[in-house]
Amino acid sequence: MEQKNTQYEAYLSATHKLGRWLTVLVLILLLAAPFAIGLFLGAMPNLAAAAKAFLGVGLVYLVSGIVEYLIYVPMLGAGGSYLAFITGNLINMKIPCAINARDIVGVRSGTPENEIISTLSIATSSLVTILVLAVGVLLMIPLQPVLQSPTLQPAFENVVPALFGAMACKYYRMNRTVALIVLACMSLLFIFVPSLIGSTSMMVIPSGALAIVLAYLAFRKQQKAGGGL
Amino acid sequence: MEVLAKLNSPVMYLICGGIVLLVAIICMVFAVRAYRAGKAIGINVSKMKRVIIASATFAVLPSVGILLGVIALSGSLGTPWPWLRLSVIGALHYETQVAEAAAEAVGMEKLSASAMTASSFSTIALLMSFGIIWGMVLMIFNGKAYSTKLVLPKPETVETNGKKKKLNLKAFGDTAMTAMFIGLVSAYIASYIGQIVSANGLFTFTGSWLPLAVACVSALAMAGFLLIREKAKADWIDSFSIAGSMLIAMTAAIFLGKIG
Repeated sequence: MEQKNTQYEAYLSATHKLGRWLTVLVLILLLAAPFAIGLFLGAMPNLAAAAKAFLGVGLVYLVSGIVEYLIYVPMLGAGGSYLAFITGNLINMKIPCAINARDIVGVRSGTPENEIISTLSIATSSLVTILVLAVGVLLMIPLQPVLQSPTLQPAFENVVPALFGAMACKYYRMNRTVALIVLACMSLLFIFVPSLIGSTSMMVIPSGALAIVLAYLAFRKQQKAGGGL
Repeated sequence: MEVLAKLNSPVMYLICGGIVLLVAIICMVFAVRAYRAGKAIGINVSKMKRVIIASATFAVLPSVGILLGVIALSGSLGTPWPWLRLSVIGALHYETQVAEAAAEAVGMEKLSASAMTASSFSTIALLMSFGIIWGMVLMIFNGKAYSTKLVLPKPETVETNGKKKKLNLKAFGDTAMTAMFIGLVSAYIASYIGQIVSANGLFTFTGSWLPLAVACVSALAMAGFLLIREKAKADWIDSFSIAGSMLIAMTAAIFLGKIG
């Protein structure tokens, strides 16, 4: 048992080291790419215009990035988090995918199993995305008319509702009361303040906070009654 | 048009493809390390294989959706750059919005190939790269501390049958994660409801009902899969239930879209 713990600690420590260095490398390459492209095109980026646009729209993503980090790192563990932040598409793929994988094999959050399963899940889903995009780019010319055909548009415009509908059915069963109250509160909020519909990814914060508070109250009540979860 | 030709040139594919390849290698390294560590600490190999199959099937349809994002942006930014952005770090909803904002900031009326200049492109590319780095930056500087020093708050003491006892907060960890996820899903489903009722003005009921209808079909399909799993004790169905539900719902969207 102790040997397994030592092995896991060594794995985790190496994951942080590797994750940090590889993240630095990818970050440098991503920020250097526009300048390399600028060199190739013969026109460097206009830093003043980029700064102006960042103040306009980028600040929102600064806040959103910090919130995503605070919320999702505990869900994903170390390896999963490094990969998820490198590969992106967190809400519409990586988070649901990792949570689904975790539930399929029944591991608990904060355990070594969760760390391994979520890393495997995010690495696999990222590789599938890279592969699908690479094949798609290779076959761009023959695929374009099919994927952009007006008949198929409603299907591809509704990938996220299709994903969250299935996830709702799976997770609402686990805590119906919390799900019902949160859904009702959030629906009322969007109905009375429709301008928030465009900022749904930010509204995950109050929605998640409300769900956690309600779940905590139910948990406290259950433990008080001597039940335990 | 000359700029667009350059944006689709082999050099661009080399720059962008090189980074995509590096990220693919990073994913493989992490996957292999996790698999080996899982074996070493005694996780059942068949469990890990199930996770790999479930995650792979799960990712296919959203990836096709992301590919559409590449296609949509390729008209104005060429193919290699959107390919890189959406393979690495990017997010479907983010890229289009930031590219549009950056286009405005460099004086373009809208993001379009006809108005694109070399300087506009490199500025747009820089903003798209810089605007979304924060998760990575935080992981570099604080990832280890945050993920390893995540401590539970001091447990609250409650009274049960006259006896005082501390709440088992460790047991709350899973419940909290499930609750957070319920919150995430609810925010999106609620936005579809809000869209129907008030998207075009308070209580006008003229917004698009298609996203909510698609979510409902997907939920029903999922309920069907769960029922089959429980009745037939077919646990393997878990690996395909999300992808299957999405496929059914997206097919339904094609038909529902004709009605709406």
